Amino acid sequence: MPDLEWLVTTYLTMLMIPYFVAFLLYMIRIIKGPTLPDRVLATDALGYDLAAFMTILTIVLRSPILIVSGVVLILWIFSLDIYVAKYLEARELGG
Amino acid sequence: MTTLIEWVLVIAGQSLITIGVLCDLVASIAMLRFPNFYTRLHAATVGSIGGAFLPIIGVALVAAGSDFLGSYRWFLCGASLVIAFIELLLAGAGSHALARATHRARAAPTKPIIVDLLEEDRGKGEV
Repeated sequence: MPDLEWLVTTYLTMLMIPYFVAFLLYMIRIIKGPTLPDRVLATDALGYDLAAFMTILTIVLRSPILIVSGVVLILWIFSLDIYVAKYLEARELGG
Repeated sequence: MTTLIEWVLVIAGQSLITIGVLCDLVASIAMLRFPNFYTRLHAATVGSIGGAFLPIIGVALVAAGSDFLGSYRWFLCGASLVIAFIELLLAGAGSHALARATHRARAAPTKPIIVDLLEEDRGKGEV
């Protein structure tokens, strides 16, 4: 019977490789994106995936304090959405 | 000594993380291949719900089942569930706000489209 700690660590470490490939493809869309909403949408998807990646990293690195940054990252990405939407509709960012 | 329930939790969590990684790859490829902004919204939804919500739930299950993390594993499990819930609420709201603003401001081209009833209604002043 294999060890549970070995299984979790090895499997989650192997799963980081497709995450890096996905991050690279999102980065291509962020750099290439023809319009502003395309870039913001790709940044959204990249940010949510970074939050998921960070929670996986928490288990692999055995450092539970890392998981707090996921909440902050998700709220930051949402605020980016709202600010860009407000700028596109009203062409200003004030109150 | 690991019990059976811990093995079940870890295997279920790892299955969810695997499905999430596959959704993530599909979403990133679709984000490159789709023709305009409004079709890329589908890819963004796959990437944010399938690619981030499911793996975080999976991490919560893995953390609940792995006793080598010590007493911090319940902290990890609860915080992961909170993050997943916040993301489930905010991802759809943010995408919707962005899409609405883009359509109203005509900031992205709707090139391979056949009919745009919302644009016609807005031209007649009904919306």
